[in-house]
Amino acid sequence: MEYTNFPYLSAILLSCIVGLLVILFIPEERQTQIKWVSAVFSGITLILSIYLFLAYDKTQGGLQFVEKVPWVESLGITYFNAADGFNLPMLLLTGIVFFTGVLTMWELENRVKEFYAFYFLMVAAVFGLFMSMDLFFIFIWYDVSLFPMYLLIVVWGTTRKEYGAMKLTLYLLAGSALVLPAIIYLFVGSGLNTFDITLLMRSGTFTPYQQKFAFILFYIGFGILAGVWPFHTWSPVGHVAAPHGVSMVHAGVLMKIGGFAILRVGIFLCPEGWQHWAQLMAVLATIGIVYGAFVGLSQKDLKYVIGYSSVSHMGIVGLGLSTVSVDGLNGAVFQMFAHGVMTALFFSAVGYIYDRTHTKVISELGGLSRIMPVASTYFIVAALASMGIPGLASFWGELMVFIAAFKTYPVRGALAVCALVVSALFMLRVVQGTFYGPKNNKYVHLTDVTFGLGIPRMILLATLLLFGLFPALIFDMIETASIPFFNGLP
Amino acid sequence: MKWFLFYPELFYFAGGMVFLGLSMLKHSNPRRDYFAAMFLAALGLLVCLINVNQEGFLFLKAYRVDLFSQVFKVMLSLGLFLVICICSELKAIAERHHPEFYLLLFVCTLAMMMLVSGAHILTIYVALELSSYSLYVLVALRRDERLGLEAGLKYFLVGIFVSAVMLLGVALLYSATQATYLADMIRVLPGALDSPLVVIGLLLTLCGFFFKLAVFPFHFWAPDVYQGAANQATAYIATASKVAAIAILTRMVAVTGDGSIYLAHVLVILSIISMTVGNLAAIVQKDLKRLLAYSAVAHAGYVLIGILSMNQLGYSSVIFYAMALLVMKFTAFLVVVKVADDGNNLQMSQLAGLHRRSPLLAMALMVSVFSLAGIPPTIGFTGKFLVFAAAMEKGYFTLVLIAMINVVISLYYYLLILKAAYMQEPAETQAPLHVSPPVKILAGLLVCVMVVAGIFPRYLIELASAAAAVFN
Repeated sequence: MEYTNFPYLSAILLSCIVGLLVILFIPEERQTQIKWVSAVFSGITLILSIYLFLAYDKTQGGLQFVEKVPWVESLGITYFNAADGFNLPMLLLTGIVFFTGVLTMWELENRVKEFYAFYFLMVAAVFGLFMSMDLFFIFIWYDVSLFPMYLLIVVWGTTRKEYGAMKLTLYLLAGSALVLPAIIYLFVGSGLNTFDITLLMRSGTFTPYQQKFAFILFYIGFGILAGVWPFHTWSPVGHVAAPHGVSMVHAGVLMKIGGFAILRVGIFLCPEGWQHWAQLMAVLATIGIVYGAFVGLSQKDLKYVIGYSSVSHMGIVGLGLSTVSVDGLNGAVFQMFAHGVMTALFFSAVGYIYDRTHTKVISELGGLSRIMPVASTYFIVAALASMGIPGLASFWGELMVFIAAFKTYPVRGALAVCALVVSALFMLRVVQGTFYGPKNNKYVHLTDVTFGLGIPRMILLATLLLFGLFPALIFDMIETASIPFFNGLP
Repeated sequence: MKWFLFYPELFYFAGGMVFLGLSMLKHSNPRRDYFAAMFLAALGLLVCLINVNQEGFLFLKAYRVDLFSQVFKVMLSLGLFLVICICSELKAIAERHHPEFYLLLFVCTLAMMMLVSGAHILTIYVALELSSYSLYVLVALRRDERLGLEAGLKYFLVGIFVSAVMLLGVALLYSATQATYLADMIRVLPGALDSPLVVIGLLLTLCGFFFKLAVFPFHFWAPDVYQGAANQATAYIATASKVAAIAILTRMVAVTGDGSIYLAHVLVILSIISMTVGNLAAIVQKDLKRLLAYSAVAHAGYVLIGILSMNQLGYSSVIFYAMALLVMKFTAFLVVVKVADDGNNLQMSQLAGLHRRSPLLAMALMVSVFSLAGIPPTIGFTGKFLVFAAAMEKGYFTLVLIAMINVVISLYYYLLILKAAYMQEPAETQAPLHVSPPVKILAGLLVCVMVVAGIFPRYLIELASAAAAVFN
């Protein structure tokens, strides 16, 4: 472990929280000012997360940028942040999606101040969760990231927002209802009186029984957020109901929290439980991949299509984790990153189209590529990424996971690959129905994306391309964490 | 005789006498009464704070002053002070009754202070009755007699029934152990807990405190009384009265030591039923005060989890939880009182558009609701976390799981409150609420306390463990 002088990780959190406070003190009427402040502070987090990603010493590996402050000594709670190969890609992803999400919501006019305040609170918690190495703080950040969702959806949302918001919140907090007992169970069971993950993950701390028991609770609890079948039903409904910027953070980053927490908490602390339940994880993940693809095939609403494709893609993450191999872990983390950027681009593109046409129903659109070619391009690129076209980031994640899956579970791996064909089919169907075919004359007068509004989409698109062409940038990073972790397994 | 140990009680007695005198004056003057009460309550808080480190026995050791009791006395005086802070427009009480209203509040606080210090079973009983009788009258004082009298009568009937049951329990306990001092019981009881007579006696004795805390099956009064009493009186019942009940229940259960498996089982069952009944019944409520009453039943269940753990962490977690309840419940009632500025009850639908009418009150409501639901980073979450950790230490995994499921159920109606305040718009546009600057500061302070104590709970946790150390 290496202590640094400047607390970069806390600086990320602070810029969210200071941004939040600044927004609270700007009068509601000054909307442009609020948006600029939001853009500046989210930009700072993006710059800091890029800096961390580049400054991390890959040759040394391990935990870097460590910050440790005792919080409640009697209970062994520590404010403990650190960066490693697993969470740096996630921090980078959060920075990108946060910044582009703020820009995507630039046209918001209704209750701007409150929107950005809740938005900052939610993202601060997401950052906190990714960087924390203390079990107690992980739980706190997990819950804090969820509750602003309710108001964000119920106030600014669209289709069936009250139902969607309530369903989402209750499902996700039901997940935390399983996680909290499991955390306390391990805390009490270890007898070490600490929540420090680096101390708890030493082998021999927990008996195999404890690990199996706690792991399944973590897997289901966090798995609800990760969209694991059959606990995924909140996700499409919630995505459809949420405003676009929130959908971006939600599908792009929040669902990754679930996958990441399974890794950081479940797999780190209960490796034997992980190996014990791997078969079940693989089955559920495969069902999720196949199911998401087939249900997505029959959707009529653009956002529902993306919602179900998310279920399918998060299934790939689950499949990667279930292989219990280095390649699987690498693929899963890469897939989380790639899927986050891709869905953010999806929702950002749909957001623009919806704001103009006020509909997300595929059959009511049509021929949009001739009316707004640029906006269409963004969506189509996202769709291509979703199909796993080489050259875009998600190809590599899927490739790694499937290679690992074929080695461990040939049948389930084959099924999942077949499902990819289906998902390619439904994406093409959507692209054809929305952007090609006869023009809908109702929308002929609409204008295309201007340069300013296009910035967030361009950033996302560039990220997809960059990591599609140079996947080693992330793979090298993940391997600094995954290989030592594997060598340390009993 | 060390009188300085008794200063807080003497002070509140004197305060009550002041209002007894004021009530005999010919001309009623609400402003005068209000400022007198405010001044005395603030002074009382100060007296309790000065006295916090005192220790000793009084009155032939029937009265025990220790850190545990003193911490609770500070909470009680704080509760009284806060409730008086929202009494500036006491429209639900007739003006000529204002001095009596304050008199009863002061006497009730005095009684509860004696309750938390009681070390003899009869002292406890007398203090409990004194506090209950003050509350019966307080509830019935409401200007709308139909509501007030009905609620007061219900409260009274359930109350005297329970106190009869409790006396029976005390008698049984005495016949089995020949002990009336808690200190003697601590010596005798742990060995005698296999005897059915002792267990039944103990449980019947506890019934009196279950009633105060609104634990199932003694919770039936709560919704009616919350609804029928004046908003400020309800705030007092929901905060100070609950805090005192938690204190005395903890003290009584601590008497049994660690060995009582029967008692623990009964408490587990009561806790599960209280949580579940409270949360399920709260879902369908339309009146905000009734909803808070059922949520109080649910919270009684969470408190019992800490108490039934019967270990050091359990007792300290309960003390922490009492502090949390005081702040978060009061904040919710502050909003109720201020939004229902005509003194009537507050329907959920009346919250519509609150975020526009008063953003600060809407935010206070949001934070208090999240705190009640146990969402971090609020004081309510830390309280729940400590309670659950204590139960887990004793191996009650299923109980914790059930409690967490209850937390999710409760979230449903708490979110409905938020939806009403943040999303729904009133049918006709309403003027912004007039909130005076002191109330704004108070609301802001409460929000800060709930959040800051949730993020930095360290000192409060240390205080609670120090207070719980008296049970060692």
